[in-house]
Amino acid sequence: MSGPDGELRLIATFATTHSAISMERLCRAQGLPGRLIPVPRSISASCGMAWCALPEEREVLEGAVPSDPAIRVEGWYYVMF
Amino acid sequence: MSVITVNAIGDTCPVPVIKAKQALAQMTEPGDLVVLVDNEVAVQNLTRMGASQGYAVQSEKTGDGNFQVRILVNALPQPEESAPDAACIPDARGDLVVAVDSAHMGRGSEELGATLMKGFLFAVGQLPRLPSTVLFYNGGASLSCEGSAALESLKSLEAQGVKILTCGTCLDYYGLTSKLAVGEVTNMYTIVETLAGAGKVIKP
Repeated sequence: MSGPDGELRLIATFATTHSAISMERLCRAQGLPGRLIPVPRSISASCGMAWCALPEEREVLEGAVPSDPAIRVEGWYYVMF
Repeated sequence: MSVITVNAIGDTCPVPVIKAKQALAQMTEPGDLVVLVDNEVAVQNLTRMGASQGYAVQSEKTGDGNFQVRILVNALPQPEESAPDAACIPDARGDLVVAVDSAHMGRGSEELGATLMKGFLFAVGQLPRLPSTVLFYNGGASLSCEGSAALESLKSLEAQGVKILTCGTCLDYYGLTSKLAVGEVTNMYTIVETLAGAGKVIKP
């Protein structure tokens, strides 16, 4: 996650703040990549936290999500920033 | 108790203050003087006019985008006491930002802290230069929601043009999203920009 500006990122958004926090807990526990960031403005003008990782990490992340019913992903996005 | 309503919508300073003073002079018994205006500077000037004569003043944004200022005239002004002139004070909003991160002011007793916070937010509205923005996040988010003891103070600040912004992530976390009662929902980018752009930030 320390690449230069203007890199393509994978962003997962969630239905609730609790859901986003659960995602962080799951990823930390399982050693999965990514970090929690405020939802980028280009995705939504609203509030909330999102999971940010690299595009190639989508498969492993998407595979892990169903193991925690508290995590409800609203959408997967690719964003340059 | 009588209620007298003055319509000053469409009027710019000093007309709303002059109209309010004329109505005040004509009051024959204590009561409420309600002034309707359409701009925040008029709310500020009416608030000052009322306060300078020792009256409590409440104000809030009405549904149609205008503002209602209620001056609680608990005693009629003495005829010889002429009120200060209706000066047009320029917009009193400075570059101060108030950041509220808890429902309680200070550490120690939460009961006391809640009381102190209520007093703090009221006193913010009495500053000669109002803040541009009041931010609410984490435990502070409950203060701008239904049931908050600070709502009246916050509505008055909003009517005077102070932005009341509450962290949406926090409202969601605490299950308060549908309970927001004053101001707008904001996000972390705006919170950071607001704090970074402030001349001064105070945290109760």
